Amino acid sequence: MSVRLKGTDAAIQIRWIPKYTTLERFLHWVHTATFIPLALTGFVLFAPFLAPLAQGEAGTLIRLIHRIAAIFFGGVPIIYALAQPRRMLMNLKEFLSFSKYDLLWLKGAIPYYIFGRHSDMPPQPRFNTGERATAVVMVLGTITFGITGLAMWFLKGIMSPFLFQLAVFFHDLMFIITFVMFMVHFYLAVVHPMMWQSLVSMRYGVVSESYARAHHAMWYYGEKRAKQMWEELKARGGH
Amino acid sequence: MAGLGPTYGRGAMTNHWVDLKNADVIMINGSNAAENHPASMTWIHKAREERKAQLIVVDPRFTRSAAKADLYVPIRSGTDIAFYGGLIKYIIDNDLYHKEYVAVYTNAANLIHPDYKGPEDLEGLFSGFAEGKYADRSTWSYQTDADGKALRDETLQDPQCVFQIMKRHYARYDLDTVSAITGCPKDKLEAAYKLYASTGAPDRVGTILYAMGQTQHTVGSQNVRAMGIVQLLLGNIGRPGGGVNALRGESNVQGSTDQGVLAHLLPGYLAVPTSADTDLTKYIENKTKPGGPWSGGYWSNGPKFITSLLKAWWGEHATADNGFAYDYLPKVESAANHYWIALFEAMYAGKIKGCWIMGQNPAVGGPNARLERKALEKLDWLVVQDLFQTETVAFWRAPGVNPADVKTEVFVLPAADAMEKEGSVVTSGRLIQWRTKVAEAPGEALPDHDILDRVYRKLKELYQADPGPFPEPILHLNWDYSGGPTHPLVGELIDITKVAREMNGYAVEDLVDDKGTVLAKKGDLFSTFARLTADGKTACGCWIYAGYYAPLPDGEGNTLPAAKRRGQKDPGGLGLFPYWGFAWPANRRIIYNRCSADPSGKPWPGGRELIWWDPNADSGTKDAEGKPILGKWVGYDVPDFVPTKAPDAPGGKDPFIMRTDGKGGLFAAMNEGPLPTHYEPVESPVDNLLYPKQPINPVVKVWKTDEGQAVGDNWGTPDKFPIVATTYRLVEHWQAGGMSRWLEWLAEAQPDMFIEMSEELAQEKGIKNGDMVKVSSARGSIKAVAIVTKRFKPFRVNGKTVHQVGMPWHFGWGGGQGEEYEALAKGDAANDLTPHVGDGNTAIPEYKAFLVNVEKA
Amino acid sequence: MAERLAMYIDTSKCMGCRGCQVACKQWNDRQGYVPGVRETHNVGTYENPLKLDPQTWTRIKFREYDDGQRFQWLFLKEGCMHCTNAVCVDVCPTGALKYGPYGIITFERELCNGCGYCSQFCPFHVPQLEVINRLTGEAKSSKCVFCQDRTTNGLKPACVKTCPAGALDWGDREAMIAKAEARVQELKAERGFPKANVYGKTQLGGLGRIYVLTAPPEAYDLPADPKYPAMSTLWQKILQPLGGIAFGATILGTITAFFIARRNVHMEEVE
Repeated sequence: MSVRLKGTDAAIQIRWIPKYTTLERFLHWVHTATFIPLALTGFVLFAPFLAPLAQGEAGTLIRLIHRIAAIFFGGVPIIYALAQPRRMLMNLKEFLSFSKYDLLWLKGAIPYYIFGRHSDMPPQPRFNTGERATAVVMVLGTITFGITGLAMWFLKGIMSPFLFQLAVFFHDLMFIITFVMFMVHFYLAVVHPMMWQSLVSMRYGVVSESYARAHHAMWYYGEKRAKQMWEELKARGGH
Repeated sequence: MAGLGPTYGRGAMTNHWVDLKNADVIMINGSNAAENHPASMTWIHKAREERKAQLIVVDPRFTRSAAKADLYVPIRSGTDIAFYGGLIKYIIDNDLYHKEYVAVYTNAANLIHPDYKGPEDLEGLFSGFAEGKYADRSTWSYQTDADGKALRDETLQDPQCVFQIMKRHYARYDLDTVSAITGCPKDKLEAAYKLYASTGAPDRVGTILYAMGQTQHTVGSQNVRAMGIVQLLLGNIGRPGGGVNALRGESNVQGSTDQGVLAHLLPGYLAVPTSADTDLTKYIENKTKPGGPWSGGYWSNGPKFITSLLKAWWGEHATADNGFAYDYLPKVESAANHYWIALFEAMYAGKIKGCWIMGQNPAVGGPNARLERKALEKLDWLVVQDLFQTETVAFWRAPGVNPADVKTEVFVLPAADAMEKEGSVVTSGRLIQWRTKVAEAPGEALPDHDILDRVYRKLKELYQADPGPFPEPILHLNWDYSGGPTHPLVGELIDITKVAREMNGYAVEDLVDDKGTVLAKKGDLFSTFARLTADGKTACGCWIYAGYYAPLPDGEGNTLPAAKRRGQKDPGGLGLFPYWGFAWPANRRIIYNRCSADPSGKPWPGGRELIWWDPNADSGTKDAEGKPILGKWVGYDVPDFVPTKAPDAPGGKDPFIMRTDGKGGLFAAMNEGPLPTHYEPVESPVDNLLYPKQPINPVVKVWKTDEGQAVGDNWGTPDKFPIVATTYRLVEHWQAGGMSRWLEWLAEAQPDMFIEMSEELAQEKGIKNGDMVKVSSARGSIKAVAIVTKRFKPFRVNGKTVHQVGMPWHFGWGGGQGEEYEALAKGDAANDLTPHVGDGNTAIPEYKAFLVNVEKA
Repeated sequence: MAERLAMYIDTSKCMGCRGCQVACKQWNDRQGYVPGVRETHNVGTYENPLKLDPQTWTRIKFREYDDGQRFQWLFLKEGCMHCTNAVCVDVCPTGALKYGPYGIITFERELCNGCGYCSQFCPFHVPQLEVINRLTGEAKSSKCVFCQDRTTNGLKPACVKTCPAGALDWGDREAMIAKAEARVQELKAERGFPKANVYGKTQLGGLGRIYVLTAPPEAYDLPADPKYPAMSTLWQKILQPLGGIAFGATILGTITAFFIARRNVHMEEVE
């Protein structure tokens, strides 16, 4: 892609690397669009101070919205598995690989994201530690919500009350975890000034070459080369 | 009920409901009072709380009543006389009877005819038995002196005195024998006997509560007699907390029997005339002759009662010249021909053309119900007056019946229920309470009294148009109850208070005594039956009710018809509440209450003073010099006695005023004998241990119609039907289900027919709790859900194991068709199994003991 | 006026007549057997219905109990226990279930949104969910409310009024407890019920029903020692507050981080 600076003859070449398929992006937004009403309606049921909103017919409507959204929320991984099963499996494999670099990434995350200090961030694969953590939490969340939610919906009065109580507990626990994760994810992916490309990637499916080189070295250079470069950097004592 | 008449003089609950709180020991036998008379528990609990009373429940099954009892005694169905015989022997052998009471107030001392023989002498029969009955009862009579007065041995030692005869009669009813007959363990029998006999002490009183579990046997009347004897021996009659208390089986059945709605009665327990009573003079003569029922005691006023009744019914057409229209009364050959079973046998034989059924469901409630339903098919026409389309209304649509084959024309008259009409209701305790109407009956549903009124007026019209040979009994009826409220669809209804006034009794013309005092003006309501005369100047529809509608004070400053009173005062604290309603007779709450005081007129010890003789009280009359005569009975109840008769006056110690000799009848004649004797039920699993040669009641009529046919009077033997069965009621349902199986809350509580059986029997038959089982008797078979329970246990009878099962009889196949008309709770009818045989006196069917077999369905 | 009222239930006097079951249905317009809508059948017991349900707020349990000493046929009137520590109130997200006057756990049907938590957390399995549509979740809870319309107007609950055995009473809770304890003493000393006990005095902080039992609670299928569900404590008292803290911290954290980052991040260095 070329961008011509107006009034000059300088040209900036940006090469874009595909990261997400169209389906993935679509499903992500469906996931978001359903997660938010789920969280909001769930929050009304969860928080005692919101009891007035949960009452009577309004409350029944809130529960209905929660269920309708849940169907679409739960439909997302199912459609993904049916439509792009190999891609899904590939992504899952990537989501679930963690290494010592992730610990280092976590260590460096706070100086990096808050103070902008690049130096201590280790190489990352296509999905960095944060992205993988978010994904794992969301996958676990979707599964947990699915099982506990369906149980609460269809098995109430059929399964034992104790199991229902467990289901409610884990549903709510997962809500807390996923919503915290969502808030962090939203902040980093949408709001944070340094991470403007995150939103581009999920809107257009691509990241720029320089971004990939800087933030996803293992993806750009390959794992072996990227690790080599990291070792050399550490040997040089940092940037 | 019937057993109480000969024993005490009246067939009625001797005490009343609230009085139960005054008992020291309460024995429930042949009743499941907690189940079927739940209000009784209010007072039983009070007795237990306030005076630490003990509750004994005697029943083949551990019932809801047994669940509340201090002592539960299991006996096989049909062995109550063995149980009571054992109790009587125990009381006599251990000297526990109330000596003074028995000696003075009962006929224990009376000497019986020297030729009297009992079952111990005649292997199960009394002297005088011939051709199936005891027509010659002369050997049962008292020995009398030249004046006809009965001879007595006050020491109770003479071998021919009632006391000694009774002792011999029950000599073999020892604990081992009673245990072998009843199947009850000896220790339980002894515990029950000991506890109950403790009420023989003068300061202790016990009460016996009974119901259909005692009466619905071929020996039902004798069961009641047995209780009557026990209570006399223990001195428990006529005293607060005592009595033989019949818990009647229907709301206002007491009222029905009071009104003579039984084949052998006219209102007020007057006898229906038989063909031997050719005219009024003969009727009266047959009753007042020596030995007759009106030959002594208060019944000697019988002529006044019958005359007043006739005057009430035929008014101006009943005069001294025509024997007060006595000829208008129908006569019977024998009332027994018209009792229920005989009636249905006649119907089955095609002898009855039409039948009018009011508020009854014989298709479900009648014994040998399959035969009775077939009998209904023989009618030309049937009218059923009811609230719902019961199984009787729709008998022609019962399972297995092809409506095209039934030629009976069926009319349904919708009736109003108890809340939808005004009138009086009489409790078991003889208490008459007037009730107002609180709801409107739907559509054209009318109270029974309005239906009858319309029928009468139409009959009158028809007879006027076409009189035939003898229209007078209809046309001359003194029947005008017009002036009631207007029904929006049907028009003018009757004024029920006019009926009440007629039943109460009123002066036909001014009544003036021989001194010229006006005792009552024409039209005045009587406050007592003492005003009735035999000269046609008084009219009274029901002499025992006299006073119930007359104005009386209610203790709170109001004066109103007695049955309408709701006064709260209870002088004496015994729960008499004399200002509430009106108890017949004469507002006496506890009858035979002369017995509540000792022979000298002082109350017995124990703190239950009821009435006593006050020699200084003004009797209300003056002597020849105009000085007031002193001495009368005072206290908290109306004396069931001449109020001014002193204890030492002639008859001053004869409390049972309705008996000719005034004494309690330990020895009293009924159709099967003067003393209760153990006979097995007609269908029994064992021989009669005491009288193998006379196993069953010798005077019962065992019908054999169509014996051997699919539907008929078939009799089961223990080889094919080894299990004893009984039927009973549930608190959730009512009788044959007409009033409860159509109601959703009750149908939910007990939706299905079931049979209760012991775990041992279930195991033998491979039946699990909740399984559908088939129950068969010689008369049919039904299906029911099995309730396998610890509350039935096998009995050890004569050395062998006898199982017993029980079923509620409320269920029927549903009646009307379609959801709008059929019952909500449905099931097979237990009475398809019961036998067509009844008590030797009342013919009440033996619903409570018969033989069945049980198998998985 | 008493602070807390309670229902006294003396099972030693109860005859299991179901008068209370019917009176409750009559007063509260509950259904019985309705063909095609609510059909029940005898499965080998007098007990019917077999459980509390939206149309049955009180019922009698029947149990046969034989401890080798004395056979008993037990009758237990079942219904909402109106606990002092009422888990149903704690888990109700709408406030439809509340601690009401006199210790009655009241229920406002209009506020209920049908979530059913109450029915799943009650240690006595009392509240019954009336499911109108299982798919959409439209439902309403239901349970005995001690006839709050009667009792807040000085009347007794319908069941208490109707009981012919005098087994039921209604009044100041302390007085009902005293009555029950006296009755238990009497049953032990005079009526041959050595295992008689009071149930409801201390369970779950104290119940609104004070039972006189003649057999151990287990004989009636009553939990001998009902516990406030641990899951509710975990959920309501631990998870919810922690969740609130977590949300609050995250929001604050991200906002703070944003303002700091904005100052420190140099866009020209951003790829």
